[in-house]
Amino acid sequence: METVLSLDGVSKSYKSIKALKNVSLTIPKGSVFGILGPNGSGKTTMMSIVLDILKADSGTFSWFNSPNHSSERKRIGSLLETPNFYHYLSAVNNLNITQAISGRGNAADIDKVLEIVNLSERKKSKFSAYSLGMKQRLAIGAALLGDPEVLLLDEPTNGLDPVGIAEIRELIKSLAQKGITIIIASHLLDEVEKICSHVAILKKGTLLTSGSVNEVLSNEDIVEVAASNMEQLKSCIAIMGGFISIKEENGRLQIHYPIGTANIEYINSHCFNNGITLQHLLSKKKSLESKFFELTND
Amino acid sequence: MTNLLKIEWLKIKKYPAFWWMLIIVTLTYPGINLMFFNVYLEIANGKETINQVVKMFLGNPFSFPESWHTVAFFSSFFILLPSILVIMLVTNEYNYKTHRQNIIDGWSRSEFITSKLIDVLIIAGVVTLIYVLVAISFGMYADDMSWNRWAEQLKYIPLFFLQTFAQLSIAFLLGYLVKKAFIALGIFLFYFLIVENIIIGLLKWKKLPGSRFLPFEISDKIIVSPPFIGNFGKDLKTGYEEALKQVPEHIGLTILLTAIIWLICYKIHNKRDII
Repeated sequence: METVLSLDGVSKSYKSIKALKNVSLTIPKGSVFGILGPNGSGKTTMMSIVLDILKADSGTFSWFNSPNHSSERKRIGSLLETPNFYHYLSAVNNLNITQAISGRGNAADIDKVLEIVNLSERKKSKFSAYSLGMKQRLAIGAALLGDPEVLLLDEPTNGLDPVGIAEIRELIKSLAQKGITIIIASHLLDEVEKICSHVAILKKGTLLTSGSVNEVLSNEDIVEVAASNMEQLKSCIAIMGGFISIKEENGRLQIHYPIGTANIEYINSHCFNNGITLQHLLSKKKSLESKFFELTND
Repeated sequence: MTNLLKIEWLKIKKYPAFWWMLIIVTLTYPGINLMFFNVYLEIANGKETINQVVKMFLGNPFSFPESWHTVAFFSSFFILLPSILVIMLVTNEYNYKTHRQNIIDGWSRSEFITSKLIDVLIIAGVVTLIYVLVAISFGMYADDMSWNRWAEQLKYIPLFFLQTFAQLSIAFLLGYLVKKAFIALGIFLFYFLIVENIIIGLLKWKKLPGSRFLPFEISDKIIVSPPFIGNFGKDLKTGYEEALKQVPEHIGLTILLTAIIWLICYKIHNKRDII
């Protein structure tokens, strides 16, 4: 598989704080790659390094397997941290500068992306007169300008209203279907889960795991059960066998099985045969959120 | 290179402070020169014998070809005005974080500094153009007998440009390193108006040499005071001739200092984290 971006042993410190520790990662072409981590885990530091804003202390990276960073960067539409534009210029004039620097797109493309991010009506207003959400949408528009092959988005839904968030999600999905590689950092886990094909999880600068969503998430099957007499249910399940562990949560029991071994029918009949009628029986995939907490909790 | 120029022009042409600077400079340069020209006229048109003697000593500093020199000398007092604009243009980039965005969008770090070098060149060019127009106007107006000598002393155009560019480069370096507009402006004003003058005064008082090697003095000395100053007494004449002799050395030093300033900017920008 073709590689869009690869990092090899990248480390970065700010004075005494180690922001990234020896991170190695490859991002395949055509993937929607989510980079997850709590605040201060190094997501933005990593993105800043690959965009040549920060200098890594050690390690290397390359875009499209090429050593020349600045010319390759022109092929990537990026939104890093905050929308950065000239306050006294209008949306169109700001995008003219983006266009001139990156060489992506033309005047018609500028109108097109402003249409996509719903700023056409305000395209002649100065950036300083925009609301937070509009600034964010302009930044997304700038990243989309001229149909780049790769999008790198750091918290793209920051400051957007629920409708805006849903629109961006749909936009990312449709771009991914066109084969554009999308690298997205976020702490909104359900958002990432809904759109990503691959994830990497960072914690305090260390890469905990990376790979396709299915590989990272599904290493267990989970079945959730509940009955009116929970004590009786617990002892009944305990003698059933075949599972890895049992956890009690919100008045329900979560039974964890090795992947592919949970048998809901068998659980139901086992309980019934032991005189318990289940009120609740649900087969669950482990959510990204629980996986995330599991990995990032000490 | 033309692409960088085009992009910088996109940034500058809609920046209100640029047009304000242009308006203020277009008013100030003729203004200051008109002031001295009026002083001259008052003296020269007096009916007393002493007036005629002074007039003989002065010549007409505002007629061709002397107007190139005189106007350059008086106008160069106002380097402060374009300096403010230069400092704003670089600190704006930090303020808007567009210094990061320009790189994210595909510039190399060197290209960013080159773009700022172009900004300073544009402003020095515009200011020089205003100087040229003012010098021509005075030359034509002050004495209609000498217009045929307009082409003498044209060397003051490149000298004025070099001095302006060199001093604006110092302003740029300050803005680039300090990052905050008002702090950079404060340091610039404090040093330019007070500190350097105090040091010059102290050195002269202690009869120590070296004041001419201070950052602004290096380029100040490439446009010496107009020659009529040398017509008032022997000391002033030797001083004037001394200063005139040092001009080539100061041209070299100015170019050297300016080159060092820009090299420092390139060097730092290629190394540091852009935050």
